[in-house]
Amino acid sequence: MSDTLELDDLEELECELEAAETAHDRTLRRRAAALEIEPGADWNDVEHAMLTRRSIRKFKGRQVPAHMIRRILEMGRFAPSQGNCQPWSFIVVRDKAMIAQMEAYCVAVCQGMTASVDYTNYPEGSEQRAAILANTQALNRASPNSFHPVPMTAIKSIANGRFAVFHRAPTVILILMDKRGVGVPAIDVGCVGSNIVLGAQSIGLGTCWIGFSKLLSSNTELCEKLGIEEPFELAEAISVGYPIGNPTQQTISRQTHQITWWENGEKQILY
Amino acid sequence: MTAITVEKAVVAADHLPIWDDPHEALYKQVTIELDKCDGCKLCTVVCPANLLELYGPKDNLKVRLKADVTGCMSCNNCYAVCASRGVYATEPYDFAGFYEQKNIGPFEFPRRF
Repeated sequence: MSDTLELDDLEELECELEAAETAHDRTLRRRAAALEIEPGADWNDVEHAMLTRRSIRKFKGRQVPAHMIRRILEMGRFAPSQGNCQPWSFIVVRDKAMIAQMEAYCVAVCQGMTASVDYTNYPEGSEQRAAILANTQALNRASPNSFHPVPMTAIKSIANGRFAVFHRAPTVILILMDKRGVGVPAIDVGCVGSNIVLGAQSIGLGTCWIGFSKLLSSNTELCEKLGIEEPFELAEAISVGYPIGNPTQQTISRQTHQITWWENGEKQILY
Repeated sequence: MTAITVEKAVVAADHLPIWDDPHEALYKQVTIELDKCDGCKLCTVVCPANLLELYGPKDNLKVRLKADVTGCMSCNNCYAVCASRGVYATEPYDFAGFYEQKNIGPFEFPRRF
């Protein structure tokens, strides 16, 4: 288009729109090109955050600024959910006394549990051991996930005081699940938590999922105090704080998992 | 110090493992390269199973596994914090019977495909 060309107002506007559109298209094209990666390319920032994220169980005493917690909760708020029903709600506990109260209750429950399921407290061949082992195996059958050997080891450690439930973190985020959510709301809550822990990782905070927080659900008084009300139930907790050491300095090795790969009518097993 | 190898018990698939039997509950132990360890204590602090401890004279501290304690989950947090990369797990934990791990391959660092 020549500068000397005379246009009336409408034509001028159309031309302006066209020019703006092509500039926008050009930007989109450039972005798409940048996202196309070669095989073996370096990790981008998001991938790097995912690969270096560790579960942090030892935190500095320093409190995390409130704006950083708000920031990672924003990451959670934009998680995908089934039917966009967003079946979640958050409770942020930054009060030392409140965290101590939550901790004390979980420890008490774990102590009760070890007494009734830890057969290793009694010598081999004793009657008590046989009785408790039978009880443990019955619970295993009824609830194989909760009574998996790994959490059992953790329950023992918590009961002995070797392990803190909330890892003495300065901030604990409780994620509540709306029981009326579309489909499987537990999956949506998992997506929220995943966004939160990766968001935290990207701004230098350490996080750890606290499955034992579920124990709090059995204490109605504490639930009321915390503000857990129907139709919400406590799904998970995430401890947040500044990590001790430098756990993100290197990636670790992890076991590989079977991938069944279907392509061109053929099935392959990859690792 | 290398991992202690114990053979897994052969039991029925629905058998519930006895947790304190090392044949039925195989917690893999970590490998520690003592010449790389500078006794900085970080791994003992981050280990979720609280398995590691320091020993030796004050000017030459080294890390080791606590005696008669099991529970290594091969999370490799010890490796992640270790500046000299001297402590690591290279095998997953496993159980006999009901909780036996399925479709698990060897340990790998992140691969750039």
